[in-house]
Amino acid sequence: MIHMSGISKIYSNGSVALSDVSVGIEKGDFVFVVGPSGAGKSTFIKLIFREELPSSGKLTVNGRSVVDLLPAEVPYLRRGLGIVFQDYRLLPNKTVYENVAFAMEVIEAPRREIQKRVNHVLDLVGLRHKIRTYPTQLSGGEQQRVAIARAIVNSPMVVIADEPTGNLDPDTSWEIMKIFERINKVGTTIVMATHDKPVVDAMKKRVIAIEKGCIVRDQDGGAYGYED
Amino acid sequence: MSATRMEGHTAMKIRTWEYFIREAVASLRHNGLMSMASVSTVALSLLILGMFLIMVLNLNNLAVALESQVQISVYLQDNLSDRDMREVGTRITKLPGVTEVTFVTKDEALERFKERLGDQQSLLAALGDTNPLPYSFEVKVDKPERVKQVAQATGQMKGVENAKFGEKVVEQLFTLTKWIRIVGLILIVFLAMAALFIIANTIRITVFARRKEIGIMKYVGATNAFIRWPFLIEGMILGFGGALIAVLLLTKAYGLLAEQVYANLVFLPLIPQYPFLIHMSVLLLVVGTAIGALGSTISLNRFMKV
Ligand SMILES: Nc1ncnc2c1ncn2[C@@H]1O[C@H](COP(=O)(O)OP(=O)(O)O)[C@@H](O)[C@H]1O
Ligand SMILES: [Mg+2]
Repeated sequence: MIHMSGISKIYSNGSVALSDVSVGIEKGDFVFVVGPSGAGKSTFIKLIFREELPSSGKLTVNGRSVVDLLPAEVPYLRRGLGIVFQDYRLLPNKTVYENVAFAMEVIEAPRREIQKRVNHVLDLVGLRHKIRTYPTQLSGGEQQRVAIARAIVNSPMVVIADEPTGNLDPDTSWEIMKIFERINKVGTTIVMATHDKPVVDAMKKRVIAIEKGCIVRDQDGGAYGYED
Repeated sequence: MSATRMEGHTAMKIRTWEYFIREAVASLRHNGLMSMASVSTVALSLLILGMFLIMVLNLNNLAVALESQVQISVYLQDNLSDRDMREVGTRITKLPGVTEVTFVTKDEALERFKERLGDQQSLLAALGDTNPLPYSFEVKVDKPERVKQVAQATGQMKGVENAKFGEKVVEQLFTLTKWIRIVGLILIVFLAMAALFIIANTIRITVFARRKEIGIMKYVGATNAFIRWPFLIEGMILGFGGALIAVLLLTKAYGLLAEQVYANLVFLPLIPQYPFLIHMSVLLLVVGTAIGALGSTISLNRFMKV
């Protein structure tokens, strides 16, 4: 599904975010990317959806080289990915329903399918009863659930998340994790950068630990492994 | 750019176009003041463009009309026999482009001269019984461009003293239109740039206000074309709106001008309102819309890199 080989990323200011990273993530995997702040986790995520280009190395998503995509092809890569951020990134002037539907409208999905899918994913994240609510009227956890609903509404093969529980309290984080686990159960690959030690320790998923831009550990059913 | 993007264009549905237009209109409303400033600038630029167009085209029209009315006077040398004079007439008739040749006797010439002098005929008393005016031919040609050529040819004929036509007025008129054209062009370029700048700026503000939305659109896989269209439409509406105002004002003004001319200056050959005004309106609307599209494209290229 996602294959990196010899990936390095040096930003234009000279800071080395990743160096010689090689890793494979297969369909249906649930992967935590962990590591101290500044280790390169966000860069790892950004390379996958071509927010950033690697300085060297090979990166394929679903068999296609991300590096070689034409700018006009990037949207089609992203349609196969669901992206979740720490800060939710919802549109404040749109309702919950509209925020989720927006992701389908901009790729010109048929109207009837939009209705069906949006209601379905809002059911999945437990927010069907809040469709007319605006994001500012929601708690952080609820906002993140809307963001997750938006990420999966186009049925992506992979959901990538950069510290999705970074702004949430432990209980809420657990609710969010339950949702990701449910999404993973139906075959969606999950790649999640996180700082959340209790969650990683308890969930016993594959853990890729990055330190100073290098993968230092890649372990199935692993633990967080840091005390920070 | 690439095939993928082109496909995106052609495949867009009516619903998508509705969405684009809705977004563009919402954004225009949201930036009411800037939108108004943009529309006014475009309107002003195109108003001036239109005014110069009207002026230049009408002066040109006038010059051509005058030139085509111009006849060449071919003055004959003194002491030519009747036969010689007739032969000159025949030769003139055979010149290419000559449509009409009229013989003017010395007496007729004097009569006309008297008429032109009007109440100052007493001046002629000094001449006594002599008539200093020569025999001449009045020559008309089919096309105004030929006037000069025919005048030169006849001027060199044997038995011809000289040949004259009212070249001064016509040439001055052409020079005038040339200068108006140059001044107008400079002014129009400046104003078009101002219009372009203000539209680009309006769109920049819109893009900035909606950067979050644009970011999300990119993350969920909207194509660049899809993201750009609402802004492009917004710019085009601004340009078209400005042009429409200019067109309405110019059409009205030209109508009033035409009324005045027909009532008071009948001899002035004003270009008829139709289809002239229709052509001009179409031109201005196209130019306005193009300025709008270009302005927003400039902004999008600078502020919406992918
Ligand atoms: N846009 C950028 N420009 C320059 N340096 C960057 C940029 N983004 C990240 N970095 C640097 O790259 C390194 C890795 O950053 P990041 O991938 O954000 O790590 P993490 O998400 O693990 O905290 C850090 O040293 C950071 O300062
Ligand atoms: Mg990070």
